[in-house]
Amino acid sequence: MSKSKNATLNFFSGRKLIIGVPYVWFILLAAIPLLIVLKISLSTMEMASVSNMIDWSNGWPKVTLNFESYQFILKDALYIKTYLSSIKYALITTVICLAIGYPFAYFMARAPKHIQPTLLMLIMLPFWTSFLLRIYAWKTLLVNNGIINNALISLGVISEPIQMMNTPFSLVIGMVYSYLPFMILPLYANLSKLDIRYLEAAADLGTSPLKTFWLITVPLSKAGIIAGSMLVFIPAIGEYVIPELLGGPNTLMIGRVLWDEFFSNNDWPMASAVAVVMILLILVPMAVLNKYQSDQASGKAGA
Amino acid sequence: MSQGVNKYFGRAWMGAVYAFLYLPIVTLVIFSFNDSRLVTVWSHASFRWYHALVKDADLIAAVWLSLKIAFLSALMSVFFGTFVAFALNRYKRFAGRTLLSSMANMPLVMPEVIVGLALLLMLVSVQHWLGFPQRGLFTILLGHALLGTAYAAVVVTSRLKEMDMRLDEAAMDLGSKPWQVFTLVTFPLLVPALVSAFLLTFTLSFDDVVLSAFLSGPGYNTMPMVIFSRARLGLNPTINAVATVTIVVVTIAVIASSFYTSHVERKRKRETALAYSDANK
Amino acid sequence: MATAPKAPTGNEAAEKEVLLRVEGVTKIYDGTVKAVDDVSLTVTKGEIFGLLGGSGCGKSTLLRMLAGFEAPTKGKIYLAGQDITNLPAYQRPINMMFQSYALFPHLSVWENIAFGLKRDDMPKEQITERVEKMLGLVQLSKFAQRKPHQLSGGQQQRVALARSLAKRPQLLLLDEPLGALDKKLRETTQLELVNIIEQVGVTCVLVTHDQEEAMTMASRIAVMSEGYFLQVGEPDTVYEMPNSRKVADFIGNVNMFEGVIEEDEPDHVTVRCAECVHYVGHGISGHSGMQVGVALRPEKVMLSKDKPKGEYNWTEGEVTEIVYFGAHTTYHLKLASGMTLKAQEINNTRDLSCGLTWGDKAYAHWNNEAMVVLTQ
Repeated sequence: MSKSKNATLNFFSGRKLIIGVPYVWFILLAAIPLLIVLKISLSTMEMASVSNMIDWSNGWPKVTLNFESYQFILKDALYIKTYLSSIKYALITTVICLAIGYPFAYFMARAPKHIQPTLLMLIMLPFWTSFLLRIYAWKTLLVNNGIINNALISLGVISEPIQMMNTPFSLVIGMVYSYLPFMILPLYANLSKLDIRYLEAAADLGTSPLKTFWLITVPLSKAGIIAGSMLVFIPAIGEYVIPELLGGPNTLMIGRVLWDEFFSNNDWPMASAVAVVMILLILVPMAVLNKYQSDQASGKAGA
Repeated sequence: MSQGVNKYFGRAWMGAVYAFLYLPIVTLVIFSFNDSRLVTVWSHASFRWYHALVKDADLIAAVWLSLKIAFLSALMSVFFGTFVAFALNRYKRFAGRTLLSSMANMPLVMPEVIVGLALLLMLVSVQHWLGFPQRGLFTILLGHALLGTAYAAVVVTSRLKEMDMRLDEAAMDLGSKPWQVFTLVTFPLLVPALVSAFLLTFTLSFDDVVLSAFLSGPGYNTMPMVIFSRARLGLNPTINAVATVTIVVVTIAVIASSFYTSHVERKRKRETALAYSDANK
Repeated sequence: MATAPKAPTGNEAAEKEVLLRVEGVTKIYDGTVKAVDDVSLTVTKGEIFGLLGGSGCGKSTLLRMLAGFEAPTKGKIYLAGQDITNLPAYQRPINMMFQSYALFPHLSVWENIAFGLKRDDMPKEQITERVEKMLGLVQLSKFAQRKPHQLSGGQQQRVALARSLAKRPQLLLLDEPLGALDKKLRETTQLELVNIIEQVGVTCVLVTHDQEEAMTMASRIAVMSEGYFLQVGEPDTVYEMPNSRKVADFIGNVNMFEGVIEEDEPDHVTVRCAECVHYVGHGISGHSGMQVGVALRPEKVMLSKDKPKGEYNWTEGEVTEIVYFGAHTTYHLKLASGMTLKAQEINNTRDLSCGLTWGDKAYAHWNNEAMVVLTQ
C-alpha cells in the first residue's frame, strides 16, 4: 500500500539517505548549538556545562534556570541602547544600500544584453577579494593622516585633517561598502527578469516614463527589494568586524558587545543571553525573508 | 529625449558606484608599492614590503593554514550543499521539511558572531563529554563547512531548478537505475554549478574572520585572523602587500573564468544558429 | 445509434494478439484529485493506439503510468501477459518519446541513441551496429557526432525517435509527438513517423490533444475526458458515430439539434426538432416520445438558394457569418429557433460556390444518413 501513497516512484532509492545526511549535519551544527546557547544563557559561569543545569540529586529532574544575564540586559540601559543603536545602523545601511543599489541594478538590467555579464563580473570582483582587506583599505583612506585627508590637505582644500575615522560616518561607509553587492544582486536578478512588455503596455496606455517606474517597475520588483533589504539588514545588526575596525567607541553595536563579553570578560552566559535577544530581534525579519523566498519559489508573479 | 537623459544619468550613476567600489582596492594596491613605513604618506616606489612579506613567517604560515582550511571546507560544503539542494528540490514533501529549509537558510543571514558562539559552545560541550575535538584546524573547518553548506546549497539549487526533470525520466525510461541516472545524467550537467559552489565557498572560508576567531585554538591562526589583529593595532604596509597579491590572484581568476564562460556561450550560440540555418536550406 | 450507457473499453479486438492490457486503473493525487478514473483498455500487437483529450483529461497521467513514472492507485497493467504495474521504469521493455525530446545535452547524437543499449550491457559491436541502423532509419547518419543544440527541431525529434526505438521495445509511447512542430513540418513528419513505426512494426500508444494528429496517425483512438474514456474505436467510427453529445462536440465541429422521436420504425426514425424534422434512415433502439439529440456535421450540410422538396431534413435561415479557410468555407446560418447552423462547403471552383453572401436567405439540407441520434 505504501507504493500507492507515493505520488511518483522514487527517483532515488536513497531517499532516506539524501534527506537524512543533510538533516543530521544541520541538526548537529545548527540546531543543537543554538539550543546550547539558549541553555547557557540561562546559567551562570560556574555551571556552564550541559549537565549542570538539571539537578538529579533527588531522583527528580530539577531544572535551574538562572535569568541573571537577562535581568542584567534589561536593567542596564547600555545594553538596550546598544541593541537600538545596532538596529539603527542596520536600518541606515539598508536604506542607503537601497538608494544606491536600486538605480544601479535598474540601469544594469537595462544595459545592452552583451555587456551585462561584464557589468555583473565587475560588481562581483570586489566581492571575491577579501572583505577584511577592503575594510582595512577604508581605514587607510579615512584615518586622520590617511589618504583622503592627505590628498585634501595637499590640494589646499583643508588645513586640518577632518575626523572621519571612528565615527558613525566611517562605520556606515564601511557597512554600505560591504553590503552593497548583497543588495544589488537580488535586485538585478529580479529587474533583469522584468518583462519589458509590461512597460511597453503602460506606455501604450499613455503612462509617462516616471509614472511607469513608480506604478509598474517598483511594485513588480518588490520581491527583489525585500530580498535585498533582508540580506543586508539582518546580518548588519550583528556585524562585528566593521564596527571594530572602523567604528570606534562612539558607535554602539551589539556584535562587539557579544564579542567583548565572550573574549574580554569571559562571560559565556552573558554572551549567550546577548545572542538570544539578538535572535529574537531578527526573527521577524527572517520570517519575512523566508516568506518572500518561498513566494518566489512557488512562482507568484510580482510577489 | 528622456531616453538620452536616462542613459547618461544611468552611466554616471553606475560609474560612480564602480568608482566607490574600486577606490579602496586601487589605493591598497598603489600604496603597497610605497616605500614609506607610514602607509598613507607616499615617499617613493619600492618592493620593500613584498620582501618583508616573504620573510614574514607568521603571515606565511597563516596563509598556508587558510588555504588548507579553505580547500577542505569547500569540499565539505559542496558535498553537503548538494545533498541539501537535492533534498529540498527533489522531494516536495517529507516530515520536517520546513525545519531543514530554515536550518539551511540560517547561516546565510544569521550574524556570524552568533553562529560562532553557538558552534563554540557546542564544541566545548562535546569536548567535555567525549574528550575531543581540541580547538584548532578541525573546529575551524566545521564552522566554515557549515557556512559553506548553506551557500553551496543555494548555488546548486538554482542549477537544479533549471534542469529538465524529463532528462531523468528519459534516462530511467532507457534502462538506467536511479544511481545511474545521477552519475550519467544529473552529475555531468551539475558540474558547472559544483565548480561555482566550490569557488564561492573557498573564498568565503579563506576570508572568514569571526568564525575562525571563535573556533580556533592556540597556534592556529588563519590569515584573516593575523591581518585582523594587526589591523586593529594600526596601519601596516605588509598588509597592503598581501592584499595586492590576493587581489591580483583573484582578479586573474575571475577574469579568466569570465572569458571562458562567455567563450563557451558564444560558441554554443553560433552552433545553434548554424543548425537552424542548415535545416532551413 | 443510441445505446444504453456503458463504460467504454478498448477490449473489442480479442482475436489478435493482445500486447497491453490495462485493467481498472485509477490514479488519485493527494487523496482527492482523481486524474485517471477506472480506465481499462487493450492494445493489440502492431496497433497504434491514440489517447485523445484536452489538457487535464488524464491522458498524460495514464501514459506516465504505462512508462513507469507513476504508480496507479488502483488497478493493474499487463504487458504480454506479465504484470508490470509496480515495475520501475528502468525495468520495463517500454520506451517513450518525450514531447520536449529530452535529449541529453552533454552527449552526442550517437551517444544519446546508444544510451539505453549500454544500460543493457550490450556488446560493443552490437551497439555500433544497432546505432548505425537507427541513424539510417531516421536519416541522420551524417549528424552522429553533433550535440543536440547543434540540431534543428525536426532533427532533434528524429534523434528522440531513434533513441526510443533503439532498444526494440515491445511498446513505444509517444507524448504529443508533433506538438513542438509548426504546421508545415507537422504534415510531413506525421507521415514519416507512421512509416517508420510501421516499418519497425512496433506497437504504439500515442497521446495528443490534436484531433488531426490522433485521427491520421492512430488505428484506434480513445477520447478521454476528466480521467475516463468517453468512447473508444477507430477514428472514422468515433468521428461519424459518436456515442454521446460530449464526443460529438469534442471531435470536429457539430450541429446539435434537440428533439423528440415521433416515428420509431425498424428501418427509420423521425425526430421533431424546433428547427426541422429529421428523417434518419436507420432504426435505433429508442422509443417514440423519447428526448434525443441529433448530431449533424457541417460538411454534410448542403446549402442552396431554392427551397428543397419534401418535409424532412432541411431548414431555412439567414447567412450571418462566412468564414473563409482557403480550401473550404464555413457558413453560419441563423435559424428561426435561434440556433446557428454551420455548413461547410468545399471551394471546388475558384469563386464562392453557392453565391451566398451575408444577409441572404438560404436553405440547408442533408440526406438520411448524415446524422447520428444521441441519447447521452
